[in-house]
Amino acid sequence: MRLSRFWFVFPLAAIALAFAAAGCGGSSKSGSSGSGGELVFGTAADPVVLDGALVSDGESLRPIDQMFEGLVTLKDGTTEVVPALATSWKADPAGTAWTFNLRENVKFHDGTDFNAEAVCFNFDRWYNFKGPFQEQSATYYWQTVFGGFSDGKTPSLYKSCEAKDDHTVVINLTKPSASFLGALALSNFTIASPTALKKYGADKGSVDEETGFKPTGTYGTQHPTGTGPFKFVSWTRGDRLVMERNDDYWGDKAKLDRLIFRPIADNAARLQALQSGEIQGYDLVEPQDIKTIEGDDNLQILDRPAFNVGYVTINQKVPPFDKIEVRQAVAAGLDRDAVVKNFYAGRGEVAKAFMPPSLEGYADDVQTYTYDPAKAKSLLQKAGVQMPLKVDFWYPTDVSRPYMPDPKRNFEAFAASLNKSGFKVVPHSAPWSPDYVGRVDGGKAGALNLIGWTGDYGDPDNFIGTFFQQPTDQFGFQNEEIFNTLNKAERETDSAKRTELYQEANREIMKFLPGVPYVHTKPALAFQSNVKGYVPSPVSLEPFSIVSIEK
Amino acid sequence: MLKFIVRRLLLLVPILIGLSFLVFIWIRALPGGPAEALLGERATPEAIAKIERDYGLNKPITVQYWDYVKTTATGDLGTSVTTRRAVTDELKQRFPATIELAIAAMLFSLLGIPLGFFAAKHYGKAIDSASLFVSLLGVSVPIFFLAILLKYVFAVQLGWLPTTGRVDARIDFDHPTNFYLLDSLWTGDFSIFWDCVKHLILPAIALGSIPLAIIARITRAAVLDVQNEDYVRVARAKGLSPREVDSRHVLRNALLPIITIIGLQTGLLLSGAVLTETVFAWPGIGTWLVDAIRSRNFPVLQGGILFVSVIFVLVNLAVDVTYAIVNPKIRVS
Amino acid sequence: MSVAELEAREVGLEGPSSGLWSEAWRRLRHNPSAIVGFVMVGTFVFVALFAPLIATHDPLEQDLSLLNGGCCPGPSAEHWFGVDALGRDLFSRVVYGARYSLLIGVVSVAVGLSIGLLIGAIAGYAGGWVDSLLMRLMDIMLSIPGLLLAIGIVAALGPGLVQIMIAVGVTQIPIFARLLRGSILATKETDYILAARSVGIRGRVILSSHVIPNSISPVIVQGTLALATAIIDVAGLGFLGLGPQDPSTPEWGTMLTDTTRYLQTAPFLALIPGAAIVISVLGFNLIGDGLREALDPRFRGRA
Repeated sequence: MRLSRFWFVFPLAAIALAFAAAGCGGSSKSGSSGSGGELVFGTAADPVVLDGALVSDGESLRPIDQMFEGLVTLKDGTTEVVPALATSWKADPAGTAWTFNLRENVKFHDGTDFNAEAVCFNFDRWYNFKGPFQEQSATYYWQTVFGGFSDGKTPSLYKSCEAKDDHTVVINLTKPSASFLGALALSNFTIASPTALKKYGADKGSVDEETGFKPTGTYGTQHPTGTGPFKFVSWTRGDRLVMERNDDYWGDKAKLDRLIFRPIADNAARLQALQSGEIQGYDLVEPQDIKTIEGDDNLQILDRPAFNVGYVTINQKVPPFDKIEVRQAVAAGLDRDAVVKNFYAGRGEVAKAFMPPSLEGYADDVQTYTYDPAKAKSLLQKAGVQMPLKVDFWYPTDVSRPYMPDPKRNFEAFAASLNKSGFKVVPHSAPWSPDYVGRVDGGKAGALNLIGWTGDYGDPDNFIGTFFQQPTDQFGFQNEEIFNTLNKAERETDSAKRTELYQEANREIMKFLPGVPYVHTKPALAFQSNVKGYVPSPVSLEPFSIVSIEK
Repeated sequence: MLKFIVRRLLLLVPILIGLSFLVFIWIRALPGGPAEALLGERATPEAIAKIERDYGLNKPITVQYWDYVKTTATGDLGTSVTTRRAVTDELKQRFPATIELAIAAMLFSLLGIPLGFFAAKHYGKAIDSASLFVSLLGVSVPIFFLAILLKYVFAVQLGWLPTTGRVDARIDFDHPTNFYLLDSLWTGDFSIFWDCVKHLILPAIALGSIPLAIIARITRAAVLDVQNEDYVRVARAKGLSPREVDSRHVLRNALLPIITIIGLQTGLLLSGAVLTETVFAWPGIGTWLVDAIRSRNFPVLQGGILFVSVIFVLVNLAVDVTYAIVNPKIRVS
Repeated sequence: MSVAELEAREVGLEGPSSGLWSEAWRRLRHNPSAIVGFVMVGTFVFVALFAPLIATHDPLEQDLSLLNGGCCPGPSAEHWFGVDALGRDLFSRVVYGARYSLLIGVVSVAVGLSIGLLIGAIAGYAGGWVDSLLMRLMDIMLSIPGLLLAIGIVAALGPGLVQIMIAVGVTQIPIFARLLRGSILATKETDYILAARSVGIRGRVILSSHVIPNSISPVIVQGTLALATAIIDVAGLGFLGLGPQDPSTPEWGTMLTDTTRYLQTAPFLALIPGAAIVISVLGFNLIGDGLREALDPRFRGRA
């Protein structure tokens, strides 16, 4: 028995063969046949569920944006409202009844007709959500825009929906609203096929207070049905989400044959997958990788316009942070310039306010704060607190946000500068999902925490209105002056007056200092050089239907 | 021999019982209590009450344990907190991925046998010391570090092999068993099979590096031992050629401890899989458990650890039985 | 039996112990790998003990101006290993990291060794149902693969440096227990112990002067190897995010996690701590391996 030869040769030969063949095969990423080709996009995580009404995270909204449409949408790369499923619209003189003329000859992916009845079915579905579905974790955007539901526990902006005829629908509001139309462009208000919603149990499931909707029906996981340029093919969690071109689409058909989203949690792994050709693009490029990508001829960087803010929350429910001097000391104890200059690869600018400069209502003359450890210490002394002041400071782990690509790094730098300024930082962390956001929102993340916000639509209400228009657990304060200014501003229909009011609000906010904003960034996407046509949007509403792969 | 096997099988029972008890206690020792652990921390009072009814947390502990054993024995391992799917369903999806990886790593580590044999033959010379050094180096490098370096060199810099997943995202094929190599062969499309193999290579090397080092050393030690035994000297004296001596006597007898060691590597492979899978985004048990820790998905942790341990125990049993079959001494007694 | 025979037996009783040790030491000294191991471990321990004197900077001191808008400046005259993403001197962090690794290794092994030896000694010496029960308990612990057991313990205790040390220590208990019990059982049956017993020497004396010294050698070998595994396992747990919760801690394993994202732009940030881990672990493995060969009775009589 030639045992010895057997042992030597076989495994070695197998390995050698593998490498030889690997070399021969090279890194050929053959797409399927067809004019459009396939594009694999690396996402940071799996979607939660493919039902716009019940999600608020970017990775769920990304595929939803491809498969669903709303009455209106935003012009590519801007925040300008343009027609989508509605071709025109008009508000009545009272401003409470909006009539939409719907596009004709549009079908859902399951072949059923899109019409006014379908629109009302969707709106009423959202309005009638009950019980746990009224958790912020499930229907955040409905509540932000419309407020309450049909049970009347909280007043609602929405009153009713009437299908006047197949192609005319009227949405009745309880009061006039300047931001209603812009908000309709949100992916959360896209129209789904009523047949599919009913057939596949879209409303079946449970809602967890922190982590959101968990479906037991199959609508949101196997049968999302919209009207968009891509339609659903399959979804295997942890592996890939596959969509294909909708050849019956009413508008310009998608150029790609297939669109595949593959979740790769680790940022460095996404970059490596791009470099090896396994994916053709990904989002949330880390600042230090930008130079590497720009230096590679096969790859390209695309910039998203800056439309976000990273800030440090100050929870005033935690004494002594309800004292203005202590908050000013925090602002004087954060070396924001050094962090923004060094951690963002030139793509960040130091933030003076809680909304980006590009948005109307931005006030350039707000009160500013500079890093000054000595001043911080004297402020703390004035406030009568004992130094070093112990402060619980929270940051998230396992995440990369557009305004905060490396939260731990920001945290460590800020902690060090605070420690030099009369504070004693006690570090705390929690994973972004499932805990961190819930903690911050609920005011359970210490006195200071790192968080931020990317705008959803082009209205200051979406930034400072969301943060400061009413008392929140996150910031823990009551300031009637700020509440009133913001309420007035939201209702103001004259745009010049509105801008002024928001500017005033910004000044008040930065004087009151409920938190310390520190950065606005230009997030980056990376693609292979032969991917053309992708238009980055400030609110991340980015259709793949206009994207093509050059051969 | 049959007695031996039966004895070992009987021993299995108290171990499995003890294991289930350990896991049972563990879930109740977790911070926040079992109800919160099974639901996800911020559970509403109604949900907690429901869990308490379902799991009978108000009943005496012996009843609870018996219920737990009954449900687990029927295959109900609970529901995942994050995806709301049955733990057993997710297990069925994830386990084949890890098994494929573990087997591939094991095959790679078998290279340790010729390496160890080679070192033994050159005992005392520089090559022997060098190989010893290299194999010790193999067990000294953290798996995840090695995985990251392998990925960087072979996937990014050289572009020979892919970095993530089990198969290219653009390839469609049915995988009913979730053993990609088998399923892809079944489709008859060799290019798909080849793509799966390519994705398997780097993770298998990273995972198999430590077992390879260990097997190499054990082989070397076993061969050295056997070489000096009397019967080998007799064989040489009889005039058999060195190669015949090697294959007929040395290797066959050295194989005993080698086989035992191979079986014992299972534990290392299962542990190492957790780290390797994380680096390569391999959708197996490792990434599943790591995600479960992060999201405090205790039903998954409980079900996953229990399942993996049971498998481990069964593999050890199989190794013991194989050892008994192969080892003439035990066979006779 | 005659007094002469008794005396002969007495001499025989002492023989194996002292001869074994001096012989082992001699062999160890001639083993090149073991010598390399001693050098590595010696350096590691030296650096760990004298870290404040060896480090050139404060490992926690940040100097963001060094980053110059990016990451990260490599080795230079001022910073021998370069500077990390928060402007901290990497050399000093690696030096202080040796302290953490030594502490981790020693504490984990101490936990595993002390509890494991206790259990093993009781089981081995008491025998009977006590032995069976304890060994079944050890079998159950061993039925959960090492890292998973540690993960389970950390899940219960919460993340943190102390917790992972305890977790890793606990995973080592069954190994030491089994080892000592096996050793004790083997020595218990040897002739000279039976002889000592029959002559009337008390059990306690037998235990302390004969059984334990002979059982110690495999424990020492295992202890050294366990130190090596402890350092690696803790690095692995740190990599999974279960380690020290203060992010600025200069622990080698956590340093590795944070820096893999810079592998393409500043590879030295990951490679240097990684090399440090490899070197110290390798050192312990070389020594342990050398010890094993030196103490193995089967090798006696061979060149």
